[in-house]
Amino acid sequence: MRYWVVGEFGSGDEVKKALRRLRELGYAKETLDAFSPYPVEGLEEVLELKPSPLRGFAFVAGLMGAAFGYGVQWWTNAVDWPLNVGNRPPHAGPAFVPITFEMMVLFAALTLFLGLMWLYRFPRPHHPLFELESFRTASTGGFWVSVTTERREETEPVLRHLRGLAARNTSVVEEKE
Amino acid sequence: MAEGRVSETPTRDPLEPRPLIEGAQSPESLTGSLLRPIERGPGRVWWALFFLTLGGTGLFAAAIAVTLVRGIGAWGNNIPVAWAFGIIDFVWWIGFGHAGTLISAILVLFQQKWRASVNRFAEAMTLFAVMQAGLFPMLHLGRPWVFYWLVPYPSTLRVWPQFKSALPWDMLAITTYFTVSLLFWYLGLLPDLAAARDRAPTPRRQFWYGLFSLGWTGSARHWHHWRTGYLLLAALATPLVLSVHTIVSFDFAIAQVPGWHSTIFPPYFVAGAIFSGIALVLTLLLPVRGPLGLHHVITDKHVDILTKLLLATGLMVSYGYLQEHFFAWYSGDEYEMAAYAFKRTGTWGWLFWLQMFTNVLVPHLFWFSKLRTNLVVVWFAALAVDIGMWLERFTIIVPSLAHDFLPRSWEHYSPTWVDFGLLFGSMGFFGLLFLLFLKFIPPVPISEVKELHHDLKEALEEKERRERTESPLREKEA
Repeated sequence: MRYWVVGEFGSGDEVKKALRRLRELGYAKETLDAFSPYPVEGLEEVLELKPSPLRGFAFVAGLMGAAFGYGVQWWTNAVDWPLNVGNRPPHAGPAFVPITFEMMVLFAALTLFLGLMWLYRFPRPHHPLFELESFRTASTGGFWVSVTTERREETEPVLRHLRGLAARNTSVVEEKE
Repeated sequence: MAEGRVSETPTRDPLEPRPLIEGAQSPESLTGSLLRPIERGPGRVWWALFFLTLGGTGLFAAAIAVTLVRGIGAWGNNIPVAWAFGIIDFVWWIGFGHAGTLISAILVLFQQKWRASVNRFAEAMTLFAVMQAGLFPMLHLGRPWVFYWLVPYPSTLRVWPQFKSALPWDMLAITTYFTVSLLFWYLGLLPDLAAARDRAPTPRRQFWYGLFSLGWTGSARHWHHWRTGYLLLAALATPLVLSVHTIVSFDFAIAQVPGWHSTIFPPYFVAGAIFSGIALVLTLLLPVRGPLGLHHVITDKHVDILTKLLLATGLMVSYGYLQEHFFAWYSGDEYEMAAYAFKRTGTWGWLFWLQMFTNVLVPHLFWFSKLRTNLVVVWFAALAVDIGMWLERFTIIVPSLAHDFLPRSWEHYSPTWVDFGLLFGSMGFFGLLFLLFLKFIPPVPISEVKELHHDLKEALEEKERRERTESPLREKEA
């Protein structure tokens, strides 16, 4: 059982201010999140998010893709069944470059997309906050702050803090396991 | 809702730059107005165009069926003109795609904010154009049903594809380009599909948009990864788009045919592709922005920038034409010179001069700011370039092949109705996909426009603050 305590704010700046204050009040950064219709500049610093691991994933996948692309061309055309066309060398490095490059891009791009899906645990068409009618503004024009707690009795002080920070539309949503 | 465009006030300072977003807007009003095209039922014009393009798609299907049943002999191709409409249409369509990736990926890296309201549109155009393009080389294979022989899979044939040939390069380039463009497009679409889900008027729409938005919440943690992913995809798509048309140009440049065997081809093809793509963006954008009510986010400023890009790329293409003919002359090679002379003065010389008119002269209209904002002029000029770029591929391919080395093998070429059926049919199919896109997917990236709106507002406030603090100082100085 998990509880989401949420409040709506008027702008990205207000969200940043509220989150900073909540951090000062001692909330762990893992329990805090913000929801906005577009990325808010500077939230990464407030929530102390680590640089996305996607960069590493894409780099490794790109190298693997290039190696795979070149390797397949070399093995099929020069080792397994050397094909003599116009007496060109079977292992023709320059001619293998276009496909090597394309495979690098393809592998890296697919990894980026699938990596994102994995990081997000998507597809996940339902989310506990979608139960909240007013939360619909998170994708259109509203800026929300959420605090997750494990126990019901902890939600009261959080609500008070959010209201103290001038949040509109505060609510508690229960997540059933 | 405080939505709609504010007409230009007569007292506007002419030195003030034209706005990227017109009128007083809020995030809510932008979401509302940008979702309206998909929330509203289709109008009469939409249905009329839908049936027109459906008819075109039918023609396409019929022409493909004839090609499959009767073989390539149904086309006008002969020996030596073994490549004709099939490859012309392929290069033409794939060229159109390039502007989409330019606008969406390259301009992200250059932090060109104006791209926000046109990138979805241009990317959709890319995807649909690449879909048309991919069909032509496949049909040209002669036996398209075994196209998968191009994939190196362990089969009982025991022979692998020949990777020194440009055909496997093309296949990999097109499929990679399509896949990466699709992923990039979809990633940008997620937040907007979520907005469509959250404002859906009916449960059915909520269900479908909810399904395709995959559960997007707009969490700061998600945005954090999203930004990294989007930027990296843009960084990958940028060299990719340059490579795709380079590989397409290799189809020609690595051959020995006079008129093709030239090192100028890769850059000249890429410039031509972007040139034609921008022209197609303008051709499609101008007629739809009114009916979809997008005047406030696709303003005259966007048209102005796009026409400038058209002029810039047009100059590059003109330089390519000049160099091509110069190379032929400077090489001193009789065959090269003869091929280019035939291109200028031979059977299809009139097409060459028409191409010079549309691709070299017409873009020069846009040196004048009056003409850049005259939408009728812009639209017809863009259409001329669209057609001119098809002519360019025709004059590259057909005259060179028809008159190669030995006069005894020269042959005339004339297309059949199947060739024209495939060309116009593919336009119908493209149009059909495009109409469906306009009806089901937010045609303008909503979250990006909202971010742009926020940035512009902040910049304006900053400017006003500075003016307020500076003016007392200035008065003191006076």
